[in-house]
Amino acid sequence: MSRTPEIAAADQPRHAAPPETPEWQGDFTPYVVGDPGRAASRVRPALVADFPDRPDTILDGIVVNGPDGAPSATVRAASVRGLSHRHYARVRQDDYALRVTPDSRYLVVCVADGVSSGDLSHFAALWAAQDGTDELCQRLARNGPDELPWPEFLAWVADRIVERAGHQVEGIGSDPREVAQRMAAALTYAVMDLTGEERAVHLLTVGDTSGWVLGRDGDWRPQQPVKNADVDIHSSAVSALPILSGTPRPVRTSVAPGEALVVMTDGIGDPLGNGSGAVGRFLARSWGDPPADFAFAAQVGFARRSFDDDRTAVAVWPTVTRG
Amino acid sequence: MDAPLGKLLPFYLVVDVSFSMLGKKLDAANQMMPAVVDALAQAPILSDKVRFGLIDFADEARVRLPLCDPLDENVTLPSLSLRGATSYAAAFRLLRTEIEQNVRQLKADGFAVHRPAVFFLSDGAPTDPEEDWRAAFSDLTSYDKQAGEGFSMYPNVVPCGVDDAEPAALRSLIHPSDGIKQMQMYLMEKGEDAAKAIGMIAEILISSVLASGESMAKGGSGLMLPAKEDLPAGIHAYAADDEDFV
Repeated sequence: MSRTPEIAAADQPRHAAPPETPEWQGDFTPYVVGDPGRAASRVRPALVADFPDRPDTILDGIVVNGPDGAPSATVRAASVRGLSHRHYARVRQDDYALRVTPDSRYLVVCVADGVSSGDLSHFAALWAAQDGTDELCQRLARNGPDELPWPEFLAWVADRIVERAGHQVEGIGSDPREVAQRMAAALTYAVMDLTGEERAVHLLTVGDTSGWVLGRDGDWRPQQPVKNADVDIHSSAVSALPILSGTPRPVRTSVAPGEALVVMTDGIGDPLGNGSGAVGRFLARSWGDPPADFAFAAQVGFARRSFDDDRTAVAVWPTVTRG
Repeated sequence: MDAPLGKLLPFYLVVDVSFSMLGKKLDAANQMMPAVVDALAQAPILSDKVRFGLIDFADEARVRLPLCDPLDENVTLPSLSLRGATSYAAAFRLLRTEIEQNVRQLKADGFAVHRPAVFFLSDGAPTDPEEDWRAAFSDLTSYDKQAGEGFSMYPNVVPCGVDDAEPAALRSLIHPSDGIKQMQMYLMEKGEDAAKAIGMIAEILISSVLASGESMAKGGSGLMLPAKEDLPAGIHAYAADDEDFV
């Protein structure tokens, strides 16, 4: 029922800008997949009194050069506080970190998900991401990812969390199980070779974070078993550092030009499922090519009813070499 | 699960409508669901996930509100009426059928489902043979994960008693009765007004639902019961191994 206002020619400003050169452009509409739920519009995000400097959302959009100095990969990363944490005034417990080895040979990524039962788990996520990727870069100077002693590396990360917790948190003790009561994180490390046409990737996961290859045709190829794939009752129990259980083995895969490596927390992994649904189609369509960095963060934060966990994704597109 | 449509937390309220519930007790029971709806309307995170069902029982049990989103505008809350004796067995059998059907259907529809929670309200002792209701309860709650035997969708059960409910019988319905996820029983204090006690039990139900939402934000996946010190006066909480209720 819109009405076109009839304005007399004499009422129009004399020096109005010609319509073909607007003063600004652009628009933003939040992404919604299916039913957004009530929370998407009704939650009033709260500042967290205990950790007011912990950002609600972080994001990066970078281009990484290979050893030859030419662009080798485009990276988009975003970590977005979930609606539930916004509502209950809790911090974002997800985190990520990006590193390139000094020789520009490898891109190192970590995506970490602080387990919600620990009130300080965002520290475990932060340290696992930042210190873990630093350490991985140092170790990659000595060994290629194929020869890397991965279990030893994970033990180092676990120790690091316990050690830093001891400095940071009064009276926390040095027993990993005790520390894990207050802070623990599920995580995936990814190492991508920045040379060659097909990029070799090593992925190491503890818990319910996950690594995927997004194929040219929008197909999602999980690089680990899909969580809760065949159960009657949904469970949210996870393994997480600093508790080491079993010996996680790295998965070796490769990402071809036109494909993308996507590492994510279960905040996205759960609604993605095995990638065959609406969320899989939405993200595949959005991430066929690198989107604008802010658009990527908004896509990570899509609204879908009942999926209110923190969300983190790091996506890496090998640069297509021409000529 | 290919790609879940959502995560759901099912609650079942099971209410005794035997003739002894006549009068203010029934009125109070009829106010329970409206109170739940009012609370959920203020809780956007939770109301996106919660499903509620209402079953009543006397000689037999009936589904009065099939598991649903109680804020859905198409939902009409039922009005309970009285009809007979107190068959716990009928209630447990219907619960098992309902839970199994509901969870299967929700999963077929593409939802991930958390373990259901049952609030069981009674004002009297069961009138059916003890071996009957015990067998029906065992069918509802027994599950051996290793052997894959029993009912994998077993609910967490919170028995609530007013007036002449038999504490020892009700206590045996606490499930799980031990471990880190153990549930509790809520009993009216002797001499308390039973209708008022039902109102308090509704409050406990609501604070459990709300706490479960916050607990999910803190990594829990199940039912959270209020701490004993937060209970309204006139109601006591008991664990499965408490003996001091008489």
